Amino acid sequence: MITFEEYVKDFNAAAQKYIPSSFTPSEEGVFKPKDFFNTPEKEANEYKFKAIKYAFKHHYENNTFYHKFCRENNVTPDDIKGIDDFGKIPLIPDKFFKTYPTGNEFAMWLASIYTGDLPNIVINKNDDHDAILNKFNSAGLHISYSSGTSGRHTFIPRDQRTFYDTEYAFAKSVVSMLYPFYEYELHSYVMMPNPLKTNVFAGKVCSIVFDVIKHQQVSLDRELSADLVRAAMQQNLKGKLIRYGMKKAREKMVSKMIRWTRERYKNGDKIAFLGAPFILYFVMQELQKNGESFDFGEKGAVVTGGGWKIFENQRLAVEEFRKMAEETLGIPPEQCLDLYGMVEGNGWMVHCPEGHYLHVPNTYYHVRVLDENGEQVAPGEKGRFAFLDGVAMSYPGFIISGDEVRMLERCPVCDRTTPVLEPEVKRVAGAEMRGCAEEMRRVMSMDLGG
Amino acid sequence: MLREWKEREYIPPKTMIQLFIKGGFSLGKVLLKNTGQLKKARGEQIPYIPPERMYELPAYSPDMKYVKSDEKYLRPTLFCNPHSPEVVALANHLGAFEKEPYEYASDAFEFVKRNIILQILPLDGVVPTLRRGYGTCIHKISVFIALCRAAGLKARYKLYALSVIQAWQNTFFSQDALMQEWYDAMGYFMLHGEGEVYIDGRWVVGDVGPTPERQVAAGIPITQFGEDSIGVWAEAIPGSIMRLESIPLGLGAASRLLMEHISPGSTAKINNNVLAMYEKGKKILEEIGGEEAYNRKKRSGYQMPTLELEQKGIVFE
Repeated sequence: MITFEEYVKDFNAAAQKYIPSSFTPSEEGVFKPKDFFNTPEKEANEYKFKAIKYAFKHHYENNTFYHKFCRENNVTPDDIKGIDDFGKIPLIPDKFFKTYPTGNEFAMWLASIYTGDLPNIVINKNDDHDAILNKFNSAGLHISYSSGTSGRHTFIPRDQRTFYDTEYAFAKSVVSMLYPFYEYELHSYVMMPNPLKTNVFAGKVCSIVFDVIKHQQVSLDRELSADLVRAAMQQNLKGKLIRYGMKKAREKMVSKMIRWTRERYKNGDKIAFLGAPFILYFVMQELQKNGESFDFGEKGAVVTGGGWKIFENQRLAVEEFRKMAEETLGIPPEQCLDLYGMVEGNGWMVHCPEGHYLHVPNTYYHVRVLDENGEQVAPGEKGRFAFLDGVAMSYPGFIISGDEVRMLERCPVCDRTTPVLEPEVKRVAGAEMRGCAEEMRRVMSMDLGG
Repeated sequence: MLREWKEREYIPPKTMIQLFIKGGFSLGKVLLKNTGQLKKARGEQIPYIPPERMYELPAYSPDMKYVKSDEKYLRPTLFCNPHSPEVVALANHLGAFEKEPYEYASDAFEFVKRNIILQILPLDGVVPTLRRGYGTCIHKISVFIALCRAAGLKARYKLYALSVIQAWQNTFFSQDALMQEWYDAMGYFMLHGEGEVYIDGRWVVGDVGPTPERQVAAGIPITQFGEDSIGVWAEAIPGSIMRLESIPLGLGAASRLLMEHISPGSTAKINNNVLAMYEKGKKILEEIGGEEAYNRKKRSGYQMPTLELEQKGIVFE
């Protein structure tokens, strides 16, 4: 079997475009460790401290609103002397990134949350959100978004380098956990919008798949604009028509995926399904209905992310999904992993194959679990997921989310060295439902009512 | 009459009608699905003792000053009569026409926020609310608005559908299966409100709904005049914010139907929870050394940054 070193080397060769020629202290924790999830604790902490301290200083010095926020909280970079001081770094509620104004002021809002200077971007009076996004993106930025069910998006501006860093971190996290499955010659099915035709973060971040995997298919090969997503979520005639159209597209998509799967199986190809679980669920359901199954065994893998809602009132249990993948596709549960990430962050927590606990990439990303008062809870206690992200250079990635998690200092099943989150993450009650898969699901299904 | 109703914004706006249709439909579905439980809940006798009024109403005298105007945002509207003797007396007692507008509005805000306890009951006017000493957030806003209008400050309602923090959910929904299911089905709470007062050329918001004690029990900062609840303990459902001169017609009847006829037991449970929360907050404040110490602690960490828009490299054509 290929050694882990050789395995990562192969991956790095395919991901060469994403690896900078020299690393900032923020990037060392991403590019230097061979495995995010199995770096000795002391070494991981050194990388992490350097990355987060560097990022904090950068935002303190170059971001007006965050500088002011730190001043209000009486914190300066000099106060951060060790990991124990990370609790002093002011956290921004994730809702902040939804507080954008309408009209042309949206462009100024994006500029104001962005850390540092921007190139000149010309905005016309009648530009809508998508036009403004595209203008920022044409200027070399990557503005991506995710949404809540209410249709109000979270917009995050990334510069090219931060975006490459997060793409690399995303792919390396998955590849590491799937060891020794990955190889360039794989066939992948991306169950997300075409990364090159969307600004939905979960879709856009998958563009690295086009570089590190030779053969790809995408489930939604059309432009998915912010306005289309918003319109599809509305209860008016336009929304209904869009959803009807998407329902038809979904039926076609399922048939296409089944045809692809049959062909890959016939050719003895190695395959990976990547993306929103509800899409694969529909495929597997259809296979079950037809009494059809495959036995890909170790030649198949599934990596899901973005939430486990199947219908408005139906949430799929992750174990049940793995069982279904084993029964219909013959893919073993060890190669059926879920991933937890969000548009606001660049950390990718991935299930370990042994216990399906979500491992934290703690060489550049520090997780805190907080109660409603903002106090850290004890290990194993439920609380809000918050993180300090060493990679985000274009916006302050020190964020408290609306997700509810339990964190353990070590995985109860495998011997990797990182803290873990319990396998399934939920939204804090009262927080708006979100997740990229949820957004896709809402657009593509007809059950919006609820 | 219809024109006058329209002009005074008594006709429910489209957003509110949509909210109520969706809410009513959703409630209907929940009730149909749970007829057994509803029957049980309706038969349930929940012991409930309403809170006592926490203040003395100042005496009224006919020579007391107040602004009697028919101008929009100053005139009486549904359930909000700023000319009633109780309101005029209280406005004068709180320093109307003596204090600067902001100071007066802030004092009126503090009076209503602190002294009128939140309890769920059908909508009625400002006079019964003041006499009782408790009411819903809408009752409380009406009192605040009436006090402002009596003092010559234009004031209006800001109403919206919202999702709330966990502690609020526990108080209002979690103890009652039907309420919880309704909230889950909707994904949000149908209506909350704040008051807005026009001072020095801008509308200043104030949420008189939660008493400091309840905010303390929920672990959130004690909000002040000028501070929005949105972003602190609530999130408005986009597109649902309505700014109105008056509470629209129909809201009173709808609240009566829901609270008195459909599930009075649920209302009593919520009210008991609110009172328990109030007591819990009072105890926490005693232990922590008062509101100032509490607020200092709360506001030191978990808060929303403020953003001033910068132009940077943006060029507008």
